[in-house]
Amino acid sequence: MSSDVNSLLTQAENRYLKPEELQEFKRHTSTLAQRLKIYEFLRDREAVIFEPIVEKLQTAFPEAQQPLVEKSLQHWILIMRHCAMAMLLDDTDYLKNNVLDWLRGFVKTRQSQTIETKIHELLLARLQEMLSPKAMIYLEDNLNLAKDTLLANSD
Amino acid sequence: MIEIDDLLKQTQLPGNYFAFNSYVRGDLELGLLENRRGDRILALPDTLVRAIYKGLEQETGQAARLVLFNCGRWWGKHFYVRFCEEIAEYYHQPLGSMEMIQFTQCLQQCWKTHGWGTLDIDGSYNQQGFLLIKTTHSPFSQEAPEWKRPVCYLEAGLFSIFFSQLTGRDLHCVQTTCQSLGADYNCFIVGLSDRLKAAEAMVDENQDHDTILRQLCQQKSG
Repeated sequence: MSSDVNSLLTQAENRYLKPEELQEFKRHTSTLAQRLKIYEFLRDREAVIFEPIVEKLQTAFPEAQQPLVEKSLQHWILIMRHCAMAMLLDDTDYLKNNVLDWLRGFVKTRQSQTIETKIHELLLARLQEMLSPKAMIYLEDNLNLAKDTLLANSD
Repeated sequence: MIEIDDLLKQTQLPGNYFAFNSYVRGDLELGLLENRRGDRILALPDTLVRAIYKGLEQETGQAARLVLFNCGRWWGKHFYVRFCEEIAEYYHQPLGSMEMIQFTQCLQQCWKTHGWGTLDIDGSYNQQGFLLIKTTHSPFSQEAPEWKRPVCYLEAGLFSIFFSQLTGRDLHCVQTTCQSLGADYNCFIVGLSDRLKAAEAMVDENQDHDTILRQLCQQKSG
């Protein structure tokens, strides 16, 4: 659950929630059906989403070592799965807490920033082809956050 | 040629085993906090850490440092075994075939999730035979009494045995900077035991980290 909805639990320790407090929870549940639909779409079409990305990536980096490209692709498959979960849970911190800090070290050591940037670009474009703008709203921010975090200079 | 089906066939991608939400679990009915493998974990209040240091100082005086270091070594020995078991099992990879970056990332995340602060490994002196470990927000540097010297003996003990077991060499660990003394981070030098003996004496003389490291590196070529 999102941290906002979670904090409602603390507030509701001794009393029922006030109408304005319940609004956040209503917003969370009213969009749940739509978020579930998008989640299932992403899950069922995972291969279809990534197939053209894999092809275009290999064309863009013909000289790159295959294991390095594969590993970077694995990062973004992982990120995509976590973005879908973050959307379902409506949790803005989910991605950061579970996967971005973890992946950043790999990108820095393997020096795969250029490849990662390209995958992010291709992934966004591919999702925009397949999803409505309304659906993209649930995913775009997290995908951009992932890219910014992975490529941030940390020293 | 990379085939997407091959990539996706791996049902599990290398995610963060130590992610807090997945790693920390509990049977609250029985008052147990556990990790995802079912090993018991504990939340330690800072006052208890303080009490341990104070109590040791009172009873053993200067020997407290050695006691803490040896506790750290005992802790580290078992921590190393458990840590390696957990990650080998989760990532379906024997340690020998795991990339070093994956191993160190796991260690960093493990450190964070347990609330021991942050941990960074600096390999820039590997050629000279030394590994630098930098930690911040150590509960031990925060709660130790003012001994006017680096105080993270538990961690130093842990690092000495952890990296000894990892490398199969007899390694020692000396802390050269400490947040309790106002430094930005706690710095530990890990290296062969007989080479680091000199470092202990230099820390006693309040020499700074850069001087100590320079002297240690000169030792080899000298």
